[in-house]
Amino acid sequence: MIIKKFNVLILVTLILLAATGCSAAKSNSEPTTTLDRIKADGKLTYAMSGQYPPFNFYNEQNQLTGFDVEIGQEIAKRMDVKPAPIATEWDGLIAGLTTSKFDMILGSMAITDERLQKVDFSSPYYRSGAQVIVPTDSNISSGADLKGKTVGVVLGTTFETKARELGATVKTYKGDPDAFNDMVNGRLDAVISDKIVGLSAINKNHYAFKLAGNLLYEEKMGIAIRKDSPKLLEAVNNALGKMMEDGTYQQISEKYFKADIR
Amino acid sequence: MNLDFSIIIKYLPFLLQGAGLTIELAVLGIAFGILLGLVAAFMKISQTPLRYIAHFYIWLIRGTPLLVQLFLIYFGLPQLGITLDAFPSSVLGLGINSGAYLAEVFRGGIVAIPVGQSEASLSLGMGKFLAMRRIIFPQALRIALPALGNQFIISLKDSSLCSVITMSELLQTSQRFASVTFASMEFYTAAAGMYLLLTTVISAILRSLEWRLAAENRTRGC
Repeated sequence: MIIKKFNVLILVTLILLAATGCSAAKSNSEPTTTLDRIKADGKLTYAMSGQYPPFNFYNEQNQLTGFDVEIGQEIAKRMDVKPAPIATEWDGLIAGLTTSKFDMILGSMAITDERLQKVDFSSPYYRSGAQVIVPTDSNISSGADLKGKTVGVVLGTTFETKARELGATVKTYKGDPDAFNDMVNGRLDAVISDKIVGLSAINKNHYAFKLAGNLLYEEKMGIAIRKDSPKLLEAVNNALGKMMEDGTYQQISEKYFKADIR
Repeated sequence: MNLDFSIIIKYLPFLLQGAGLTIELAVLGIAFGILLGLVAAFMKISQTPLRYIAHFYIWLIRGTPLLVQLFLIYFGLPQLGITLDAFPSSVLGLGINSGAYLAEVFRGGIVAIPVGQSEASLSLGMGKFLAMRRIIFPQALRIALPALGNQFIISLKDSSLCSVITMSELLQTSQRFASVTFASMEFYTAAAGMYLLLTTVISAILRSLEWRLAAENRTRGC
């Protein structure tokens, strides 16, 4: 019986593979580039987790907004198309991009070697770093203190990898707000996240948290684009460069952070 | 197409660990569910006001998604000062949820036993409780068993929802590796295969259990 069910599983898998194979072949035979299609459709879709304030989040009007969203709006404007930001789960972002669910990931994704094997990245559009965030009364003062401690991170982030390296007991969440919330509830000894995200959470929500120690490491965030879309990459880099030159980038950055974070 | 199922072998120990936790959640969840289900079933067939409590419990739990119940237990209760860890939250959620369905399963089994049996037991001088324990319930359990097994399989699969309240069970473990290796197809196929294997084993165990309990029917080609 077990063997019989496995046969069925293998069969189903093969059917799925055949189906994905077909669609891949179809998209290859299409002559237009991603950039041409974006221009034809008149909209640029870009994805993010939607749970990463102040970079991307839903505001009181239930609109997806934040630094990432506005950078995307500016890029779309410069490409003369409509911006279409969408939120999807963080750990599914790269899979969604490679399977053409959207045109690019503009969601505070750090440029890493592992990710570069799968996708291309634009030139960095901001810099930040990984930070240990702890309750105010905690005596954790650096990353080294996290060994054996319960640490919250978002699933599939560089922070998760780091937390495991440090020997922490890792609990994973779909977004940073859930992790911060769970630290308030006393279930976590620390959260590893982006420094700016941590600071913003402390200021906005009046959490009794503090930053512990220096940055664990620095990160450069880029816009992830499929490897089959070099023209789009070029256009995005172009738009980024121009908005950094003419002061638009600085304007957006200062609106959110009162500083230029490039 | 770039598929490389050999990647699973490297991560297999972790996936098995996740599967172990999945089994733990399902077994403890269903055990708690059986307990709640029995209590609710007896409350519901009793001619006392207790049956309204059972009605309410079944109505409330069957009418809301398990995912919402898990969020309420894990993220909601701390606001009322009740902070449970992820594991007890998960077992509680799975138990409360399966209990509501099992209450109806058990009630159905008990109601299916002809009234004459109950009357005969009482006429032999048994008390109501003794009649239930010795005569009615053992037969009811046999009737309820297939549906009970069904619920066990449902709970095992439902335990995947606990991944969102930080449980590193089979699905979350697969998600974790899929997100760092980008091998989504490979890891989710492996997870699906493991769930299938587990549910197949449960089905087989239940079939043999049903066969054992169906002693007097066996000769009739069961």
